[in-house]
Amino acid sequence: MEQKEQTKTTAVKGTDMARKVRGLVKNIYRSAHEAKAQGKKVAYMMVSSQYDEIIRAMDVVPIPTENYAGLCAAKREMDRFLLKAEADGYSQVLCSYARIGLGFDSLRKELGGIPEGAPDGGMPTPDMMLGSSAVCDPRYKWFQAAGRYLDVPTYSIDVVWPPVDADLKAVRDHYIQYQKEQFQGLISFMEQQTGKKLNKERLWETIRLSDEAWRLWYEIDRMRVAIPSPMPAQDHFSVMVAGYYYPGMQEAVDFYQSLYDEVKYKVENKIGVIPDEKYRILYGGGLPPWHTLWIFNYFESFGAVFAIERQYRAYDPVEVPSSVKDPVEFLAWRSFLRATQFYEKARANSGNPTVERLLGMIDRYAIDGVVFHACRSCRATTIGQVHYKNILGRYTDIPMMQLVSDMVDLRDYSEAQWKAQIGAFIETLAGRSAR
Amino acid sequence: MKPASIQLDELYVQRDKHAKELRDSGKKVIGYFCCFVPDEIITAFDMVPYRIQGSQNKAIDQADAYIEPMACPFVRSCFNKALKGEYDFLDGFVAPHSCDTVERMYNIWCQNKPAPFNHLINVPHMMGPSSEKFYRQELDYFVKSLENWTGHNLDTGKLRDAVRLYNERRAVLRALYDLRKSDPPLVLGTEITTVLVAGMGIPAAKHIELVKQFIDEVKGRPLPQTQKLPRIFIWGNELDDIAFIKLVEECGAWVVMDDLCTGTRFFWEDVPETADPLDGIATRYLYTHCPRSNVPQTKTRAGDLENRYSYINDFIKEWVVNGAIFYIVRYCDTCELEGPDLREYLNGMGLPVLMIEDDYSTSTIGQLRTRVQAFLEMIG
Repeated sequence: MEQKEQTKTTAVKGTDMARKVRGLVKNIYRSAHEAKAQGKKVAYMMVSSQYDEIIRAMDVVPIPTENYAGLCAAKREMDRFLLKAEADGYSQVLCSYARIGLGFDSLRKELGGIPEGAPDGGMPTPDMMLGSSAVCDPRYKWFQAAGRYLDVPTYSIDVVWPPVDADLKAVRDHYIQYQKEQFQGLISFMEQQTGKKLNKERLWETIRLSDEAWRLWYEIDRMRVAIPSPMPAQDHFSVMVAGYYYPGMQEAVDFYQSLYDEVKYKVENKIGVIPDEKYRILYGGGLPPWHTLWIFNYFESFGAVFAIERQYRAYDPVEVPSSVKDPVEFLAWRSFLRATQFYEKARANSGNPTVERLLGMIDRYAIDGVVFHACRSCRATTIGQVHYKNILGRYTDIPMMQLVSDMVDLRDYSEAQWKAQIGAFIETLAGRSAR
Repeated sequence: MKPASIQLDELYVQRDKHAKELRDSGKKVIGYFCCFVPDEIITAFDMVPYRIQGSQNKAIDQADAYIEPMACPFVRSCFNKALKGEYDFLDGFVAPHSCDTVERMYNIWCQNKPAPFNHLINVPHMMGPSSEKFYRQELDYFVKSLENWTGHNLDTGKLRDAVRLYNERRAVLRALYDLRKSDPPLVLGTEITTVLVAGMGIPAAKHIELVKQFIDEVKGRPLPQTQKLPRIFIWGNELDDIAFIKLVEECGAWVVMDDLCTGTRFFWEDVPETADPLDGIATRYLYTHCPRSNVPQTKTRAGDLENRYSYINDFIKEWVVNGAIFYIVRYCDTCELEGPDLREYLNGMGLPVLMIEDDYSTSTIGQLRTRVQAFLEMIG
């Protein structure tokens, strides 16, 4: 039978606020273009590098290159960038975010300007590139490689996390000290590039705004234990834009305050994402399939709602000791505490902090099944999923499934295969609920 | 006594044989990944460092139940061997945070096939004074963990001796590489890989002895035919099997130099002898030339490439290289990103490059023959 290509990419959202995120995304690139026109400094950067507040405090406008790759996929505008990077010698198994970014930069250089029709006006040429080793290796290697197309100053930092079996008392000081020194190196570099000194009061302010936004976001997620689910995972993958791309900005605080009010209203009035919620699903990890987010609605058509998710929800709020009086040291402490917050629990139980986190979610959110998304080109968020499933299986008998594609490269996705897998998964859920 | 070449061949084939014998005699054997775990420290504790290797000619038939198939096949192959009990002789398992896959493998390995001693050394990706200090502190923590486990304090004198011992091994291996400078080279690329891999599971002193004997053997054998063939430099990651290099040489080339995890990358530079030997060790290992480490950018693109690859330039000139072949084990993100930059640099020197991505499997290597032949014909 001839298969009709599915062209719909985005998901129908559950909340009004999630529908407003598109404006925030557009603003990221619009602001960067405006800043560039006004002579302000703009920087390619990697989100969740623990340095976001420093960038904002230095009044440098960030361009999150990974987000741009996700945006291209959601708009189904990724192929020409992927193919360009591959033509330039980058492997088809290399991080597809990096391939889109490199392909975009390559095309821009070749054409002498932003490729026509690039989503949201494209990314302006940065004044600097700020990489990091947080999360994965390509996040510093990518910008080094981008030097082929952009002869601009580039600086990367380490973001270090100890292994779960480390004696935290023995390693804490040198981890925090190193992290602090890495931030200081970044600050010196940015001061050199911008010609101005970091204002520490301003940095405290961006930290305060950032922490407040994340606190509100955390409270929103706590309300999502409600049945029926007031906000699904596909909304999370939209509303994360405020937390990850606007940290240190009042916009993020305002956004989450409004979302908090909306979710609270839905909980109090028992307004669910779908009218007849049968199954509550945990999105166990892996970057979302940005090319096919409607798949969440496909689950909903069977009464299955993604009640909570682990991806892009890296840490809960942490308490930095009040004795820390320097904002850079505060960031180093916060990074360490965020990274290690589930270690003690893991050592006492499953031995794995991610599994602890998932077990906590399965329990609190009354989860009926877990879905992982393995991305062929993302080792950082994919390796370990099978392992988590194996360990989770020792503690729970709920069904678990791993879907395989890629975060942005559609060539790794098969709609027919996914639908068959999802059908079998739903049947398993139904069989269990009938028991 | 068998000739060194035969002994090295046997050790290459039965890589764990000698380590198991040593273990049976009461020695502890510590397995480790990659080029960032200092052999010197393990040796100073009177234990045997054993570089964990995979198997390019055996299928990965068990590991997929524990780790995704889009992870580095070398690491998966190593773990596959562990699952089959082939690494049960290890008393310790040490992983450096060399890359995403190895770092994640550490937890999976420890939770499914834990050794009596398990440790991860966090290796900075950045290079500079603060990274050096941090890595040194990580080594201190590694030493402390070994002290707790063995019940013995590190003897600084023994560590100093180990530094000298491994520097001697480095010197002997460099002397072996010198035999590749002539045209034709006195020693084949396949022989070099055999010698290096054979040495990864035996004490350095024994390896030094064997390599010295092997060098004498090479010098004593008739000179190879003076056939003019392209001289090839191999760049990439883990090549712990001779199959690919053999293929290149069978296609009509001399493999004369390399920059591989299983080649110069692990032994080329000496450890400086410092008052506190751990300082010299930290400096030497942190600045290992590996795509996973980020060389700080210099001002211009051209200057940046020169800064990153001038050591390769030296290799190319000294070993009179005519072409470069990149052998990248698939899913190695850092190599996949580094390859095009290095190709640009080498092409800029007028050196042709063949970039190959493969699956760390001898079963797929045959398919590469046509590409290698075409490349060699091109460079004549």
